[in-house]
Amino acid sequence: MPGPARAADESMTLINEVYRRPLDPGYQEAAARRAAGTAPRRTVRGTVALLVLAVVLGAFATTSAVALRRPTPAVLEARTLLETEIRERTAHADELRRANGELSAQIAQLQGQAASTDDPELFAQLQKDAVPSGVVPVSGPGLRIVLTDGAPVNGGEEDASSLVLDHDLQTLVNGLWAAGAEAVAVNGERVTTTTAIRSAGAAILVDSTALSGPYTVEAIGDAATMQTGLARLPAGQALAALSQYRIDVRVSAQKTLELAGRGQLMLRSAQVLGAGEDVTHPADAGEATASGTQSLGMAWSDVAGSGRPDGEETP
Amino acid sequence: MIAVIGLVLGVVAGLVIEPTVPANLQAYLPIAVVAALDALFGGLRAYLDGIFDERVFLTSFLSNVVVAALIVFLGDQLGVGSQMTTAVIVVLGIRIFSNAASIRRHLFKA
Repeated sequence: MPGPARAADESMTLINEVYRRPLDPGYQEAAARRAAGTAPRRTVRGTVALLVLAVVLGAFATTSAVALRRPTPAVLEARTLLETEIRERTAHADELRRANGELSAQIAQLQGQAASTDDPELFAQLQKDAVPSGVVPVSGPGLRIVLTDGAPVNGGEEDASSLVLDHDLQTLVNGLWAAGAEAVAVNGERVTTTTAIRSAGAAILVDSTALSGPYTVEAIGDAATMQTGLARLPAGQALAALSQYRIDVRVSAQKTLELAGRGQLMLRSAQVLGAGEDVTHPADAGEATASGTQSLGMAWSDVAGSGRPDGEETP
Repeated sequence: MIAVIGLVLGVVAGLVIEPTVPANLQAYLPIAVVAALDALFGGLRAYLDGIFDERVFLTSFLSNVVVAALIVFLGDQLGVGSQMTTAVIVVLGIRIFSNAASIRRHLFKA
């Protein structure tokens, strides 16, 4: 025979205890004492003690709540530490990049010296190729396009959809090449054959340099031609569509633009075909430009326009 | 009445003076605040039930905060601090919920 019936929830006494008697039993007992008339009489000292205790508890709870809403000193400390480290490293990287630029200028100069005395023909070819390959600084008339991230609405959080994306810059740069640009730079970073524009987290990287808005894209070439060319290309439509996302786009023709050089291009894998005989075209390996073309700039833009995955068709 | 006046005074004082909390007490603040909330809800429910008592309210407030912080402190010493925190939060959370439900029944009769 089974024993006395067990409650179905007998194994959950702990939870039941918590759940069924949420109120401090003290209240019930105090009420019972009051009803029975056995409650202790309230003294002045007791009242003062109660008041003091109440003030202390109130102050304590408020202080705790306020302190919890503030970031803790440890977090702030770690943050400042990280910030200084980032700043130091960035400064170091800038320093290295500057030194790199100086060295490549030296290399170019020495190369030029050597070549101009030994082989004037090669020197001329080098200088010609240096422009489209983005190795040397160039200047000339062109277009300046400034893309500015959309401002947060009503001082709210930054809206991710109103940020300029790597894709926007890619489309724009490709469009500029296709429209006949001879040299392009994004925020002063020259775009060359091996340049990649991509995003890492929220930042846009041109090669390994992180950029922040506003993004200035400068292209050397005939401003009017580029502007009409751009308008006819899908890139122009993409540019116009950016205003939907509250991204500010300003296009201006500039009389003189100065674009920095990229420095020496390091080719690690590419080999010059028939390097034994044909040493007069060292730039061919990296750029695959149609060497010997009279207008190197135009040939260059053709290659760039069709060579990229999402490149525009040259009109 | 005294307890309520005292608490309000304390809250104002805490907001005005803004004392800093020692760093090694910081870890127990969240649990202490939850414990204080539990005491507050318990007091409100007792008031609506008609059995409110200032002494019981303040002592339960104090002991709630102290015991909750102590349990977590003990847990920290034993290396189970976060589990202890969870346990305290679960128990206090259930109590707050059922007290709040009871208060709701009192106020809205539903």
